[in-house]
Amino acid sequence: MKSTKKILAILALITFVLALAVPILAAQLKSPDDVKTALRLLVQVSNDFKRQITNKNFARVPHEYMEYTEAADALRTSIKNEPADFKNRVETRLKTAVAAYQKISDMSSSATDPDKLMAEHAKAVTAMNAVFDLFPADFRPDPNLPPPGRGRGQRS
Amino acid sequence: MLYRTDVRSRNFSVLGRAPLSRRRLLVGSLALPMTLLGCNRRRSSEQQGVDLFIASDGDFLAFRPDELTCRTGAVVHLTFHHAGKFLSARHNWVLVYPDQMEAVDKDAEKTEGVISTDDSRVLAVVPMCDKGETMMTEFIAPAPGEYPFFCSTPGHAVDMNGILHVTE
Repeated sequence: MKSTKKILAILALITFVLALAVPILAAQLKSPDDVKTALRLLVQVSNDFKRQITNKNFARVPHEYMEYTEAADALRTSIKNEPADFKNRVETRLKTAVAAYQKISDMSSSATDPDKLMAEHAKAVTAMNAVFDLFPADFRPDPNLPPPGRGRGQRS
Repeated sequence: MLYRTDVRSRNFSVLGRAPLSRRRLLVGSLALPMTLLGCNRRRSSEQQGVDLFIASDGDFLAFRPDELTCRTGAVVHLTFHHAGKFLSARHNWVLVYPDQMEAVDKDAEKTEGVISTDDSRVLAVVPMCDKGETMMTEFIAPAPGEYPFFCSTPGHAVDMNGILHVTE
């Protein structure tokens, strides 16, 4: 009984240390600006996916997927000098996210129902947010924050 | 005056022509003032020339700056630079008459964002640029007002747009 408690206590301690270690590690990123840019690009392209689906512009969706892989590469480049353990964590989740967006792209060639694609998009966003969770909160882009140019031309 | 005479006399000797007729003399005497007048006109139009520079905000869907200003009637030389590094998205710069952005953008969806220069709603267009490319366009600034500009790549205009302020 005592040994079980000990094991549980050690496991809890390890979990606690790891939970603390990830943000600390991320806070000391070697190229913070590049990381922020790459994360913002992932959100931007994800929003573009959504826009093309909503507008039923399905032919553009594979192009958005290509851009998503380019944004993913930008993230990989931005963390290339980080410790292997951190890179592996990011890579695992990033692969899952890229696969989720690829699924939308594949579906778009035959699907004509925006709702189905939007349901897949919601799953893909969840996968993308799992990547963001590995970075400190102030690195994570706000998906609802519009870029600076938004809406100006439409005001006139 | 002395200079003109010297030039004429030199021309005679080189070409070996007969002396000028009255008509030629009249045309010749008018040529210099007309030329000088022409030069003056050219100089005044050059004074109205404006160089504007605009770029994409790196790979983000925004222009930097997103507001430009020029005087009405100015000859505008606009340079657009695609400052992206990572994404293969193409960008351009399209200036349209007020309230025409949405309609022009909608039509451009059918042509992958390519805008016809014959479109009467369009004032000026910089062709599509790949990342790192720079292109130019030239146009005469229209009547005073606020003219929207945007990127016509499908889906970009909602975020990637701005205003050209044309002043008196």
